Amino acid sequence: MSVVSLAGRVGDSPRRVGGPDRVTGLQRYVADLHLPDELHAKLVTLPVARARIVAIDVSAAERVPGVRVVVTAADLPQPMPRFGPQFRDRPVIAIGETKYHGDPVAAVAADTKDAAEAAAALVRVDYEELPAVVSLEAALDPAAPLVQDPALRPNDRLAATNVLREHRVGWGDVDAAVADLVVEHRYTFPIVTHFAIEPHAFMAAPDGDGIAIWSSIQHPNWLQKVLADLLGLPLSKVRVHAPDPGGGFGGKQHTKYEPLVAFMALRTGRPVRLVLSLEETFQAVRRAGAGVNVRTGFRADGTLVFQDIAADYLIGAYADIADRVVGKGSYPGCGPYRVPAGRILARSVLSHTVPSTAFRGFGNPQVNWAVESNLDAGARALGIDRLEIRLRNLARKGEAFIPFDTPCDGHWDQSVRRAAELIDWGSPLPAGHGRGIAVGIKSGPTTGLSYATVRLLVDGSVIVFAGTSDMGQGARTVFAQIAAQELGAPLEAVTVVMGDTAIVPYDQQTSASRSTVLMGNAVLAACREIQAKLRGMAARLHAVDEAAISVDRGVVRLPDRELTVLEVLVPGLGRLGGELIGNGEMRKDAEPDHPLGGSAAFFEFNCTAVEASVDEATGDVTITRYVTVSDVGKAINPLQVRMQDEGAAIQGLGHSLMEHYIFDDGGRIRNLGAIDYRIPTSLDLPLEIISEHVENEDGPGPYGSKGMSEGALLCVASAVGAAVRDATGVAIRDLPLTPERVWRALQERP
Amino acid sequence: MNGMIPIQVIVNGRARTIEVAAHHTLLEVLRDDLQLTGTKECCLVGECGACTVRLDGRIVDSCLVLAVEADGGEVTTVEGLAPDGGLTRLQGSFLDEGGVQCGFCIPGQVMAADDLLRRVPSPSVAEIQDGLAGNLCRCGCYGQITAAVLAAAKADQR
Amino acid sequence: MRAFAYTRPTSIAEAVALLDRHGPEARLLAGGTDLIIRLRDGSLVPEVVIDLKRIAELQPGIREIDRRLVISATTVMTDIAADPRVAMHFRALAEAAAVVGSVQIRNRATLGGNVCNASPAADTAPALLVHEAIAVTAGPAGSRRIPIDELFVRSGVTTLGRGELVTAIELPIPAGRVGSVHLRRTRRRGHDLASVTLACAIDTAGVTRLAYGSVGPRPVVAVDATGLLADRTATPEAKAELLERMFADASPSPRSMRASPEYRLAMLRVLGLRGLDIAIERLAAAEGGR
Repeated sequence: MSVVSLAGRVGDSPRRVGGPDRVTGLQRYVADLHLPDELHAKLVTLPVARARIVAIDVSAAERVPGVRVVVTAADLPQPMPRFGPQFRDRPVIAIGETKYHGDPVAAVAADTKDAAEAAAALVRVDYEELPAVVSLEAALDPAAPLVQDPALRPNDRLAATNVLREHRVGWGDVDAAVADLVVEHRYTFPIVTHFAIEPHAFMAAPDGDGIAIWSSIQHPNWLQKVLADLLGLPLSKVRVHAPDPGGGFGGKQHTKYEPLVAFMALRTGRPVRLVLSLEETFQAVRRAGAGVNVRTGFRADGTLVFQDIAADYLIGAYADIADRVVGKGSYPGCGPYRVPAGRILARSVLSHTVPSTAFRGFGNPQVNWAVESNLDAGARALGIDRLEIRLRNLARKGEAFIPFDTPCDGHWDQSVRRAAELIDWGSPLPAGHGRGIAVGIKSGPTTGLSYATVRLLVDGSVIVFAGTSDMGQGARTVFAQIAAQELGAPLEAVTVVMGDTAIVPYDQQTSASRSTVLMGNAVLAACREIQAKLRGMAARLHAVDEAAISVDRGVVRLPDRELTVLEVLVPGLGRLGGELIGNGEMRKDAEPDHPLGGSAAFFEFNCTAVEASVDEATGDVTITRYVTVSDVGKAINPLQVRMQDEGAAIQGLGHSLMEHYIFDDGGRIRNLGAIDYRIPTSLDLPLEIISEHVENEDGPGPYGSKGMSEGALLCVASAVGAAVRDATGVAIRDLPLTPERVWRALQERP
Repeated sequence: MNGMIPIQVIVNGRARTIEVAAHHTLLEVLRDDLQLTGTKECCLVGECGACTVRLDGRIVDSCLVLAVEADGGEVTTVEGLAPDGGLTRLQGSFLDEGGVQCGFCIPGQVMAADDLLRRVPSPSVAEIQDGLAGNLCRCGCYGQITAAVLAAAKADQR
Repeated sequence: MRAFAYTRPTSIAEAVALLDRHGPEARLLAGGTDLIIRLRDGSLVPEVVIDLKRIAELQPGIREIDRRLVISATTVMTDIAADPRVAMHFRALAEAAAVVGSVQIRNRATLGGNVCNASPAADTAPALLVHEAIAVTAGPAGSRRIPIDELFVRSGVTTLGRGELVTAIELPIPAGRVGSVHLRRTRRRGHDLASVTLACAIDTAGVTRLAYGSVGPRPVVAVDATGLLADRTATPEAKAELLERMFADASPSPRSMRASPEYRLAMLRVLGLRGLDIAIERLAAAEGGR
């Protein structure tokens, strides 16, 4: 019997699959790929947010040597093709009016980057700047200009306002609830951007009678549908290549400039590439800012009586997926607690700003910041310990804490108790130091559809075809570990193929921390189909009843002996060789009556605890210890779990302490780019970070896993804000907690 | 006046004579003319470090160096670190310690870490954090990258 | 980036002639860490870029001549921060050089460039002011020695004439001990443009030099010869009024997005008191170590 390597199986932390190429520079991201005869595209934008486009003169640009095409709205099919994952509201290029700072009015494609850049600067746009709404207050003013033409949303009672949609969820009777204490505050959350280190990049090329697209996209199959629809092509004639994105964080989920480059490629008959600058990515993707009003009712013993939440999210000029972010992000707003009466009203408010989109946490961090901070305010008013009030109200496993949804699916108190222990909750602190603890919850995917194909080759090596995008979360490694575990292959002999819609079966999307659970189950099912075939082979070869044979971790067990997979596969396949193919499907169907269209496949749960000190003279916040504990069901790769949790924490520290867009009165983003938009560096970390996870193998994914990746970001701000409050006695309800903001709050301290 | 300028430069040990435009940065020439795409382009203002290369023994942001400035110089990119298509000890440590997620910043991180270890063979955590502060990682692998540098330093001491 | 002609003079005379000929259409290239950003964003569109790094007389280096430390204009921050003579006599400058950008930036950014950009936020400026630096220039009319305080006008503008360039920065080595420090405020701990910079130097005679930047159009230096600020027994309250007078020239722009004027002024006071404490302590330590 051959020795089967166990390294790289489920529960191990092998080196990342694809890792060597990432440390040697061989990994090819979209911008690293070149096509013969390619053209370079450059966008033309205006230095204003909202403007009426009077005329565009491209003649000087067209005269630049090497320029092959200059495209404006007039050069695209009429009526202007529009797209969007929720509403078909976004034109391929601005028509009539720009809606935000960075909304492109023209695009140039030329033989060289220099020519494209020179020509773009020569496109003369005659425009008239119009007043722009860039804040919730301005957008909600009845006299505010409308961001979208009401004709885009016929039969919509809100079409004549800047409210794109309202989302109402509730249970119990908030108005009739009797509380001993009601705490009400308003909290705000800043507009922040993904700042993936890989700026978005796109290429399109005519491909026979169809088109090929390259995009650093999280949802290649969704992009394929959008393009097929816009171009009037069958799906089979749109081939999307999706090389691993260099960071996505939600910002690369949905179509952006792929339709534009596709039209330019079809127009010129040549491949067209568009690599955004970092500044242009700031003008392409961002998180919705929010203003959240929370009214919380408590009994004197700290028991929650009701939550009454009104959350306004400032989305952009086009909906993108933002309205879903608003609906789904606000939905678990009452938190992982038993709340007898809950009422949530969330509104998507259009504005003349960059379209906001999915961003790790998907609308939850905004409400979490408000609700968790308000819980602390209640605890303080009641004289109850902030850890105690959370444990008292926390839902227990199996409890339907959101009455019409998946019940509590974890022993969440374990994460809370562990985090409290790791932060030494309750032990004395020096003056100027404080602690905060907060919990976060997020509804996992509500629908899903993932297919996987697994091929077991004659030498025992394996190819997994899975349409997930590995943007750093490590999906490739997880799928390889599952296949290695199930088929007995060494991890090095497993190849995972992703990112090509012509080769890889359909996957709905890479979002909502779904891939380990949904695609993971599809991969598992495909492996199990191969195991069934192996059982059949073994039964045939050894004349044993198939029911008496099992396959486990690469071992084929017959009643009287154990064989390796290869010992069955090779004779089973016979002289011609060949392979075994398994297909797996994981489906989570929609539930039409559910407020979100489907119940949660799982919940992400995290508890974060922070110890911080505040320099009262300057407002500097120093995080002396940071603890994050997530309930992950089963860590298929514990190191990757830790990396995702710590990464989420550090990203969350960005919006908690330093990140925010700054607009001028006209709606221009003043801090475009890396000089004045600050994200955490290696010098901005907590002095100590401890990340742990709870594993009870109680999730719906392979081996009891749950989705994770966003959980550890949900309540970062809440925990940090609580620690600052604890250290200073001042509750600050606006983020980020910049030194200046903290200093101001301390100046105003009574 | 806008003609191409011939320059001589040693790139990853290989002497090359190339013609560059005066206004093209070293980053552009490496990526576009020499197809050394391991060096990444992100912020173009010297903030992110994704384009870090070693020029005449010192790391620089290649987005803020004109290619013509490298004339007569020696450039090492991430492709030139490991001699034979393998991994340096440091590159291996990045993988072992979990220093890599999406990977886009990693060529720059590896170049900066390699430089740090050349200057400071046994760096402290503070020295690592300072030495790599010019390399942003949005996946937030800073802790693991620090561990990787420590592990590589330790291995080299043996 | 718009195309430009690139020239590489081999002598100062040649550089001066080029600069004189092209006037405002020429830009000098030393480290390039500011210039290339501005060439790319289009805020500078020169016809000619004059690279100073191939001029033999301008090779980077720090030399001690006649009780002066002479730092060639092309010397990069890394080398200034690491120089033991700078650390011993001009600690504020060493500290300032050490916080200019990242390692990658400090390997390129030059002292001459930092001075000649005349950014009010330039990290080295307050240190050079308290260390009483002199800019040595070359120009069509020959060489000048300009006290650094007389060089700065406002952001991007100096008192250099047409065709004139800074070749070196000279620092007079003080006869006695000096305690000095550089402090700054930034939006994060990682490298950042400063929203307040401050340098403080106190000598054995009790003279305190305070210089501050990023709180007005140019960095400012103020001197206290009364000994009050240097007095370790004086309370912060006692020093406050004098400090206010020394900070009288601070006039932060209300238009900046990096920090509000109130915050900058408040932080200037905080840094002032902290700077005095550190400088006093360092002076005492230096004297004690004698």
